Amino acid sequence: MSSALQSAIAAHRFGLGEADLAVVGNDPQGWLLAQIGAADEQQGNGLVDAAEGLRRHDAFLRRFRSTDGAATMDGRPAEQSFADHFRDAVQADLAARLGTAVATQRPFAERLALFWSNHFTVSMAKAAARGLVGAFEREAIRPHIAGHFEQLLAASTRHAAMLRYLDNASSAGPHSRVVARLARRQGDDDRAPRITGLNENLAREILELHTLGVHGGYSQVDVTAFAAVLTGWRAPRLPRGNEASFFDAAWHEPGSKMVLGKSYPQGPEALGSLLKDLAHHPSTARFIATKLARHFVADEPPAALVNRLARTFAETAGHLPTVYGELVRAPEAWSLQPAKLKTPEEYVISTARLLRGGEAFVARSHGSIVQMGQRIQAAPSPAGWPDRADEWLGPEAVWKRLEWATRVGERWGRQIDIRALARDALGAWLSESTARQIERAADGPQALALLLMAPEFQRR
Amino acid sequence: MNTPARRDFIRAMLVGSVAAPWCALSLAGRADDDDARLVVVLLRGGMDGLSAVPLPNDAQFSAARGPLAAFASTPLPLDGTFALHPALVEMHALYQRQELVALHAIGLPYRERSHFDAQQLLESGGQRPYELSTGWLGRALAAKGRKGLALQTAVPLVLRGPGDVDTWAPSTLPDPSTDLVARVERLYAGDPALALALARARALREGGTMPERDALSGAAAGGARTLAITLARRAGEFLLRPGGPQAAVLELGGWDTHANQASPQGALNNNLKLLDTSIMALRETLSAQPSGWARTVVVVITEFGREVAINGTQGTDHGTGGAAFVLGGAVRGGRVIADWPGLAPKDRFEGRDLRTTTDLRALLKGVLHDHLNVARATLDQAVFPGSAALAPLELLRG
Repeated sequence: MSSALQSAIAAHRFGLGEADLAVVGNDPQGWLLAQIGAADEQQGNGLVDAAEGLRRHDAFLRRFRSTDGAATMDGRPAEQSFADHFRDAVQADLAARLGTAVATQRPFAERLALFWSNHFTVSMAKAAARGLVGAFEREAIRPHIAGHFEQLLAASTRHAAMLRYLDNASSAGPHSRVVARLARRQGDDDRAPRITGLNENLAREILELHTLGVHGGYSQVDVTAFAAVLTGWRAPRLPRGNEASFFDAAWHEPGSKMVLGKSYPQGPEALGSLLKDLAHHPSTARFIATKLARHFVADEPPAALVNRLARTFAETAGHLPTVYGELVRAPEAWSLQPAKLKTPEEYVISTARLLRGGEAFVARSHGSIVQMGQRIQAAPSPAGWPDRADEWLGPEAVWKRLEWATRVGERWGRQIDIRALARDALGAWLSESTARQIERAADGPQALALLLMAPEFQRR
Repeated sequence: MNTPARRDFIRAMLVGSVAAPWCALSLAGRADDDDARLVVVLLRGGMDGLSAVPLPNDAQFSAARGPLAAFASTPLPLDGTFALHPALVEMHALYQRQELVALHAIGLPYRERSHFDAQQLLESGGQRPYELSTGWLGRALAAKGRKGLALQTAVPLVLRGPGDVDTWAPSTLPDPSTDLVARVERLYAGDPALALALARARALREGGTMPERDALSGAAAGGARTLAITLARRAGEFLLRPGGPQAAVLELGGWDTHANQASPQGALNNNLKLLDTSIMALRETLSAQPSGWARTVVVVITEFGREVAINGTQGTDHGTGGAAFVLGGAVRGGRVIADWPGLAPKDRFEGRDLRTTTDLRALLKGVLHDHLNVARATLDQAVFPGSAALAPLELLRG
């Protein structure tokens, strides 16, 4: 394969698109491998960490209490006030996420950060997680994408946003001190949330969605015992100092627990050992290998590639840089045919990079990403956004992309030589027929719309 | 000024039991004017069947459910054993008019507890997750030669078929010129998937559906709660049109009630109210024509029920057997269909779940067979492969 083609594949399939492939240089694989490391630190004004997020939840609760009986807060329904209360924080998160992705010179690392943020989904579709999603990405995901998988898993599992999103913050050991205390107090305040024992939501989703996969070889008994191990890991109303989550022994289920045939002792250490064992489980190696290959290579990734990635994952105890390296060097990842459809978010980010539109471009584009079917920070379920083209290829979704491309064309198409842009950005990947269509376009806006809608740009 | 209730709502929101409700509408299959109409309501997240259709006088029910067995007001009686959740007022009225059947201890041929696998089966109609990549309703409509029409950005799996379903959603973006569309079509000469998607979107726009855009844009402006009711009305209006769709799929999300399930302002109570009001909006709209509601069947289904026992956070974790509803003017209602397995620990599936004694596919086969006239052989082989031994339930008026 020519180095020119490799540059285009490196920039688009592994990255987020470039306005000029010259940035890739003459060693595309080396360009990608050099990017492996922790993700860029997100920059932006008004970013809120998890501890501050919890304080804002508490501030809302206190403000709500002070209204004492009013049907509305600030003239709006309480639900609306709640959303407004977090609007600035959420906007700051979106601006930082999109702005970083548009500006980064390490787009492969950024793609990995987006991949892992989606693998470990937390969503503000759950009110208790609102205002914490950006903090989760910045604190639990971005610093840990280039260590061992177990570190990423541990950071995600113990983060306040995850503990709240999947209900662990209110799960208590049935024989814990807090349950005994609440049982004695029952009746004093019948509106207080009653906690009597386990909530297995987080335990199940870690096994099914984060580590082993649904057929990874666990049973209901394992889910329940894992939930008991998780008790005590909480994100309560207010942070302790700046710690938004911590182990509270009063909530922990006493005694040892048996998960996947192994006994874990009482206490906070058990979670770390259990997560480590899950991270080293062969089912996890296969599950993560499949998801990575699906994300970067094909909706139905080649079995040989998945096998090699899984073996590398297992042999290195989940050392992610080695796994990424295996992926970058895999011949299957450099096929000429762009098999993957960009998500709406990737489509908009890559357009912004193509046009060098910067943060100002993506700041205006958030609503369009929603219209194309993806509300960032608000994935509909813990499984995150889908990673198969047919989920994004509804005719209406494609039409939305076309409408958006038309508008972008109108705004930008008169200022740039689109033919040159297409050559610089897509290089050897630009097909003759697409080049011809762009060449024959009626005007600049139409030429740009065609470039944005071309299969080479819709796919990667 | 319902202060305690509001407090509960806020508290529930802050401790995490309130997931934002969401909803979506899709329409499919162009109908002949005299056709029967079908509405499928998908409740995503696993509706707690034992809260929707409780057994107020059952000692095992009270024992297992504790505070979840105590309802804010008396459950609405059905047949002496079963009742409806007090929020389901309108659905109870339908039961009394003999237009609603409640089915209990019903579920998919699936005994695990993953949302994602169970929803895949609920929509695909397969026996094992991901063995089928199209939906049972899509295949049933295709077998009848009905071309699709759907209204959202993504086609729900249940409507995907070997034929085709088009999607449509309201837009505030400018319309691309026909010239540009023609040029993009040429770009897609070598990319069949993109070409097909674009061709369908274009055909949909040229097919005279444009005025409908305003209808849904208005709906999209409201909150999720208003939106569900608006979408139910729109579904009714579309279904009534001459040459309109034969089937509508309404999706209501937010049923995964792991915590604070009994709270009067909690997610479950709100979702049941929303379901009840949406059903009523649908009925009112369809009743505008004499043969509208009378020729309509609505099925209300979910991916699984929830554990019999309450969990440690006043909610319920994932289970297997649950409840479903079939209602409408064409339904022989006023009945509860349940081969009741009992709720004692020894009677539960794996000691924890309501045991599934009725296969949900029998319900769906019954409706498709008697209402949409899908042949039994087609149902056994194409719509629900491997279900030949499963007889369709008789749910409709004779």
